[in-house]
Amino acid sequence: MRYKLGLAALAVLLTIAVSSSALSATLNVAVSADPDTFDPTRTVAAATVEIAFNIYEGLVKAAPDGSLVGALAAEWDVSSDQKTYTFTLREAFFHSGRKVTAEDVVNALNRARNPEIASRWSDFALVETIEGEGNTVVIRLSQPNAAFLYTLAEVNAAIYPAEAEGLSSQPVGTGPYKLAEWRPNNFIRLERFDQHWSGQVPYYDQVVFRIIPDQHSAVLNLLSGTVDLIPRMEASVYHQVASNPRIKVVSAPMNLVQILAVNNQRPPFNDVRVRRALAMAVNREDMIFGAAWGFAQALYSGLSPAMAQFFRDGLENVNPYDPVRARELLEEAGADGLRFTLTLPSDYPLHVQTGEIAAQQWEAIGIDVDIELVEWGTWLDRVYTQRDYDVSIVGLAGRLDPHAVLVRYTTGNSRNFFNFSNPEFDRLIQEGLSRQGSDRIAVYHRAQEILAQEAAGVFVMDPEQLAAMRQEIQGWQHYPVYVVDAASLYE
Amino acid sequence: MGAYLVRKTASFVCVLFIISALTFLTLQVLPGDPAQLLLGTESSPQALAALRRELGLDKPAPVRFGQWLVDFVQGDFGRSIRYSVPVKDLVVQALPVTLSLAVWAVAVSLGIAVLLGVLSAAYMARWWGQVVRIISQLGMAVPQFWIGILLIQVFGVQLRLLPAGGYSNWQSLILPIATLALPRTAVLTNMVQVGLSDVLKSDYIRTAKSKGLPWRKVLFKHAFVNGAIAVATSASIQLIQLVAGTIVVEQVFGLPGIGQLLLNGVLQRDLPLVQAITVFVAVGVLIINLLMDYLLMFLDPRVRFE
Repeated sequence: MRYKLGLAALAVLLTIAVSSSALSATLNVAVSADPDTFDPTRTVAAATVEIAFNIYEGLVKAAPDGSLVGALAAEWDVSSDQKTYTFTLREAFFHSGRKVTAEDVVNALNRARNPEIASRWSDFALVETIEGEGNTVVIRLSQPNAAFLYTLAEVNAAIYPAEAEGLSSQPVGTGPYKLAEWRPNNFIRLERFDQHWSGQVPYYDQVVFRIIPDQHSAVLNLLSGTVDLIPRMEASVYHQVASNPRIKVVSAPMNLVQILAVNNQRPPFNDVRVRRALAMAVNREDMIFGAAWGFAQALYSGLSPAMAQFFRDGLENVNPYDPVRARELLEEAGADGLRFTLTLPSDYPLHVQTGEIAAQQWEAIGIDVDIELVEWGTWLDRVYTQRDYDVSIVGLAGRLDPHAVLVRYTTGNSRNFFNFSNPEFDRLIQEGLSRQGSDRIAVYHRAQEILAQEAAGVFVMDPEQLAAMRQEIQGWQHYPVYVVDAASLYE
Repeated sequence: MGAYLVRKTASFVCVLFIISALTFLTLQVLPGDPAQLLLGTESSPQALAALRRELGLDKPAPVRFGQWLVDFVQGDFGRSIRYSVPVKDLVVQALPVTLSLAVWAVAVSLGIAVLLGVLSAAYMARWWGQVVRIISQLGMAVPQFWIGILLIQVFGVQLRLLPAGGYSNWQSLILPIATLALPRTAVLTNMVQVGLSDVLKSDYIRTAKSKGLPWRKVLFKHAFVNGAIAVATSASIQLIQLVAGTIVVEQVFGLPGIGQLLLNGVLQRDLPLVQAITVFVAVGVLIINLLMDYLLMFLDPRVRFE
């Protein structure tokens, strides 16, 4: 009798175990780094944005095609002078269960523009007032800014409860997932939030972002089934999964501008002929094949084709691959026998390999290139902040609006480590903020032409984002920004 | 004995102070600072200045070191810059992983090495004594990360017997322990074998054999204890070296241990984190050394406290 009872209990336990495992679906995602902080006003790391996209929402958010859709704002209205934005909030709830109010929005956005605490306060510098009443929030700008709405889609403009404390490790947002557990260097576990305003319930109950810094380990984990998805797989390991029938790889432009940055102020690079010679001596096809395994699109100016609306096509003939002409340009500039140092950031194999190929191609036209490898912290200090370099290489992450990407080439901009300076370009970028529609597009087209003609740097490629996942996973969405949209995935 | 303890403690504190000062100095000399690394290629001078102020980096270096020292002595290890959480929490989470890796790796390699080393020393002339020697030479030559990747490929991906990486339960530690233990087994086998062969050639062993003692008794009772002194010293050095070894292995297997934490801390110039880990590791090394002193004294009565 006892034996039978025990058996029955065992059977019940087994049934429970089996049924609960069938009901709870978990998605394991391999990411290479931990978030820096989950406090939206302070975060600066791409690794945070990637995960926080599922936890936090702003008034508006990015759609996969790069356009903006309403998130906590159901709709919005822009005044005719382009200076007043009126948002109508929808009924939405925080992960804590409380309803989102206009006061929460005002508090979060005021904090986001406070220079004392916010990391990206300068993005909100044009904001004069933020007022909220009932379900309406009104934001007034001191001057028109066509890029402003895109700022509100960034994680730094996310809305959280006004009374929330300790957001850095205990985020409270309104997104389709909420944080359940964060073990630094190990994993970040998200749980589904059932009260999301969309009324839609994501397929996976749990999403676990596993921190796996090494790409080979990430791939082996995918092959062994410990991990279901690698959102950003390096092209160099593609061959390890390419022939595996259980794995599929989806690719799309990353919206990253890889540039061989040239110090425009340092002789002889202050001579446009020298910069053009550098641009004409490189064969991008070789670089894309050699460094990115063919997974990239060639670039000839400062915007990626991922920003389809503003991208200026057809600039490949401005400084075409022509080593003979490149050598002539160097002679005309009196720079034959040129010798310089190419500084490569060793943390990024793609940039290192691209740089090595560039060095070979420059040496082929008689330039003497000394390659110097530096670690990322050193790179940021020497190349980016002190601007003490000849030529270097880096990837500049794209944004949703062209202004944010192109403004860094304007004279005196703090991010302009190329020391590029062109009066017409400066004027255009200023003008772009107050223009609308096709006028605005024309302004940025012209700006891209100037960058190409003046060879502000040697624009190389936009590498493709390779998302590798189990064959059964459906619904993967590529965004022009650095995010993993877990709520859209199912199987 | 009392004087000895006082002297030893004083030298502990001195060593720890010098180590933490050197660590601080090294991170000061390295180019780049944590605020810059957090902000990356989107930073502006205003944002950089604000973040530096918030992190307290705008104060002069000696002031910051003094502040750190005062806090540390009081048990406040500070907040990690990279992870925005208390350093203590990070270390407490990471320590069990690294400790189990190191202790198990040493235990496993020591066990196997003693067995193989004794056998190959005692039966040097036989063919499998030679085989053990060759394998141990090979084990010393193969790089650790390569062993790790090979083990993942075979047991994690092909056979699917063990996790390929990450940390979920004790099974996740089997392959990393094997990876760490393999080269150490090779080194220790070699140590045991060389040490024991020397002892076996000595006069007192010949005497023992000639007076008719059984071979097993000669080997384990007379020869082994003398051979063990060298092995014990070498094993303690191996244990200390494991701290460096775990950095590589934790990286390959994606384990959330101290090594991984330290590496990220250095790359991000996360001073509070690096300082705390360095001091912890130093304390660990000092304690192991102390225990070794005692063990040696026990094994070799000729060693005495001076």
